[in-house]
Amino acid sequence: MADFEPRIVTFCCNWCSYAGADGAGVARLQMPTNFRIIRTMCSARVDPEFILRAFSKGADGVMVLGCHPGDCHYIGGNYRARRRIALLRLVLEQYGFDPKRLKLEWVSASEGEKFQKTVNEFVDTIKKLGPTPVKKEEN
Amino acid sequence: MSFLDKLFKKKEAPAAKVNEAANKVADGIGKAANSTVKAAENVAKAADGAVKGAVDKVATAISSNDAKVTHTLEAADLGDLLPGAPSGGKINLAIYWAAACGGCDVSILDVNERILTVGDMANIVMWPVAADGKEKDIAAMNDGDITVSIISGAVRNSENEHMVKLLRQKSKLVVAYGSCACFGGSPALANLVADGKDEILNYVYTKTPTSANFQETYHKGNPVIPQTSYKAPEGELTLPVLYDTVKTLDQVIDVDYYVPGCPPQQETISQMLKAVADFAYKGVALPPKGTTIGITTKTLCDECPRKKENARITEFLDPYQVNVKDGVCLMDQGILCLGAATIGGCGAKCTKVGQPCRGCYGPTAEVQEQGASMFTAVASLLPILDDDPICDEEKIIKIVSEIKDPLGYFYAFTMGKALIKKAVKETGGQ
Repeated sequence: MADFEPRIVTFCCNWCSYAGADGAGVARLQMPTNFRIIRTMCSARVDPEFILRAFSKGADGVMVLGCHPGDCHYIGGNYRARRRIALLRLVLEQYGFDPKRLKLEWVSASEGEKFQKTVNEFVDTIKKLGPTPVKKEEN
Repeated sequence: MSFLDKLFKKKEAPAAKVNEAANKVADGIGKAANSTVKAAENVAKAADGAVKGAVDKVATAISSNDAKVTHTLEAADLGDLLPGAPSGGKINLAIYWAAACGGCDVSILDVNERILTVGDMANIVMWPVAADGKEKDIAAMNDGDITVSIISGAVRNSENEHMVKLLRQKSKLVVAYGSCACFGGSPALANLVADGKDEILNYVYTKTPTSANFQETYHKGNPVIPQTSYKAPEGELTLPVLYDTVKTLDQVIDVDYYVPGCPPQQETISQMLKAVADFAYKGVALPPKGTTIGITTKTLCDECPRKKENARITEFLDPYQVNVKDGVCLMDQGILCLGAATIGGCGAKCTKVGQPCRGCYGPTAEVQEQGASMFTAVASLLPILDDDPICDEEKIIKIVSEIKDPLGYFYAFTMGKALIKKAVKETGGQ
């Protein structure tokens, strides 16, 4: 499995995390290229269906990044996202997924380094877990 | 005036509780108050009595209020009960059950006397639960000889698959009838067994108390599990082969119409029968292919008479654990109700009697995942900004962990249509 390159779907909120990812790029921080960013207006815009769809299409991991607690542009969006993801983790666990395949993290607009660190850690985690257990023919 | 203000407030309280008796007394108060203050004092006492009476009667008042809620779905009138055979001759009707409990077959009779129209309209060429008609009779027919096949149940074994494919070949129209045929239903929850059919067969024939006892007594050390074929001297005997994945009807054959429900409600069924009867007698065009019959465009909450009060809940309860209050949303009382993620059409029969919606009518048109819609609805019920500005992660996990078997609850009827249809197994990086 040394040559396993995970495919990771990353949802970034428009106001904090996407700007944080942008900052990481502008600062030329080194990161693995396993993640694809999808920009959403808020981490609460990430419907659990999006995450399940990503897994069903063969994503090895899904990251949801939002503003820090108390910093949400829409006041309470990130709290809602956290609640949903806690529930979704239970469900993924019941399906048989390792719940570590779904990560929720807070990255602010100024935290390019935290974005880099989060991505590095998550790619390491997924590399250890191996490819997604969802089989192609079942998609 | 302050006294009168108070009085009028008192008058409004019972009136708001929708008690007719209280309304009358309150009206009296209004008139009396206009004439003299003394008279008003007298009726104030009466109003007090009315308030007490109203409180006692709140339950009944609210249930009588329920009766006023009108539904967009009325039982369709099929016209004359005994209209005789259609001018073009009787149509052929087949009713089949695949992996189903038989409740759908029984539900067809829920349309009461309208069922007589069906007898006049159609020859029932197959109905395993009620009428004769064998597989070989169907196989001997020409393609398209059957006008309508009503198939209930998911597709779970080789027999189911063979029969639904045969019926599809011989039928002009196929109706997926009931939640199992439409979304997989309860049988599709078997997809969540990680090792599939082997684990299920093994469990059923060796681990369940009755069979474990049997195996222990008669087949000690060598448990017997039914085989799908056996070569007897007279020839080979076969049983249907169980599949690892339970499928919905439209994952196996082409389906023309969907009738959801566990079982479909009689309004829904009579709408379906009306569509067929109009076609058979008057040649009225059938609804476009792929139509789901008997649903509304909104969720069940739109039909449910209970009122949402934006309560925050910190624990999930079963109906037997609480005295279910009438007129208040079940979710506000901590009972997990799938109404918010379920399409309407059933008339909210369960929630009206204090039982939570289990989601048998399936997801709304805009989403594929009924369960995922429900996660959002449930998550938004937890305290957010009211009493606890942060609601830290441990607390959330503690609350949501109270939901036993979340997949089985949120996907009770729709596992066959979920995005991830089967349990998965982590390989641990191997």
